Amino acid sequence: MAKCARVTLAAVLMTSVWGGLMALERRAFLQAMVSRPLVAATVTGLLLEDVLAGLYVGLVFELLHLGGASLGGAHADHDTLPAISGAALAAGMGQASGSDATPAMWALSILVCAPFGRAGLLLENRLDARAARYYGRALTEVDAGNVRAVARENLKAMWPQFVFYGLICGAAAAAGPMFEVVETRLPLAVLRGLAWAYPAMGVAAAAAAVHGSHAPKRLRIALISAALSAGAVLWWGRS
Amino acid sequence: MIPPFTLLRIALRTLFIQAGFSPQAMQTLGLLYALEPAWPHLYPDPAKREAAVRRHLSPFNTHPYAAAALIGGILFHEVRLARGEGTAEDVTRFKSTLMGPLAALGDGFFWLSLRPATGALGVALVPFLGVWAPLVFLVAYNAVHLVTRGWLFITGYRLGNGVVMRVSELKVPQWSNRLRTVAAAAAGAVGAWLASSVAAVGGAGPWLGFGCLVLGAGGVLLLERKLSPLALLYGAAGLATVAGALW
Repeated sequence: MAKCARVTLAAVLMTSVWGGLMALERRAFLQAMVSRPLVAATVTGLLLEDVLAGLYVGLVFELLHLGGASLGGAHADHDTLPAISGAALAAGMGQASGSDATPAMWALSILVCAPFGRAGLLLENRLDARAARYYGRALTEVDAGNVRAVARENLKAMWPQFVFYGLICGAAAAAGPMFEVVETRLPLAVLRGLAWAYPAMGVAAAAAAVHGSHAPKRLRIALISAALSAGAVLWWGRS
Repeated sequence: MIPPFTLLRIALRTLFIQAGFSPQAMQTLGLLYALEPAWPHLYPDPAKREAAVRRHLSPFNTHPYAAAALIGGILFHEVRLARGEGTAEDVTRFKSTLMGPLAALGDGFFWLSLRPATGALGVALVPFLGVWAPLVFLVAYNAVHLVTRGWLFITGYRLGNGVVMRVSELKVPQWSNRLRTVAAAAAGAVGAWLASSVAAVGGAGPWLGFGCLVLGAGGVLLLERKLSPLALLYGAAGLATVAGALW
């Protein structure tokens, strides 16, 4: 129990810092796609010693948010927050159970954390509105003739994003053991259903990705490639 | 007129273009932050320096990668102005004329084409490469992203308005269409792989696999009719959970 609690505390701290950094990478700095669900969730799993949980949770969120984009001043749902939170929750559940997370745990984590995309967007809009104060200060600095200080206001706007998103991700890692208790009390039939839900959600997310690809003949293209892929999997399985 | 090291500092600062984003000023703070190292070299006189900063206080917004071309071009015009070869209007006209078109170009290529294509390919590589697939996605995306961002900055700084001609030679819309096709194909392949391969985790192999394939095709049609992706995700999870529980 003590070991579990110790591991969880380290997990919460690491996830918080990682989540905060990725929230910055997503928009404030660089945007080299390290914060995309597939990458950020896999690294979260790596940090929490369950890389497969991170990879498979991130895979679904990557597909689900593939077509989302912030265009002009309008933002899309936050893709990084549900991915890191979901991976942390799944890995936390696995840690609490004493092994790696199961597909049922992956599915439960995705179900719990998927709405964080919209919540993250709302938080982002609030923080953007708050950032207007830094612009106001920059105007005051120019009037005071302090030209160098104007530029620094740009960096000050980053810390609230780091703190708020980091806290949410850390909370998801901390909630892992609690959800593990819930999961162990579920009837076996429901657990089997949750295990089935993972691939079903993956396919639903792939459908969202096909739709979000914006390709002119996307349904036809996707059906052809799906048929080829299914055929290859079957052939591979037989040989 | 601007030393190479200072240009490098400015180029690196363009990576923070959206740090202080707000609905009112948008990327204005990021623009001022990026340009700040140039002012002492261009305008030793504090009054002229303040006037230069004031020129860039109006709302600025473009695609974050395309901002590199605009900042390079702004420097090109500011250097001319500092030499007495151009006017302040040249700088503001360059900025206000190009930020919209470059934003549209960047959004269409990077956000709506390259990212979906490399992201879907990254996911499609998971069955073959496992945890290394995300790394391949990062390398593939950034091979284009970082090179383009550096090239845009240098081209903007060297050519000013000429950056428009150079960007048009890249035939971005054609590449965008090809990448969108790649994204749709890769996503379809991943859907089928999840349906036919990962379905085995539930112990119901063919049934779950077939159901998932039908769900995927139907899901695309429902999304085309404005169903929310989140609703589709929860609907799929609900159906599969009930099916699994009743099996």
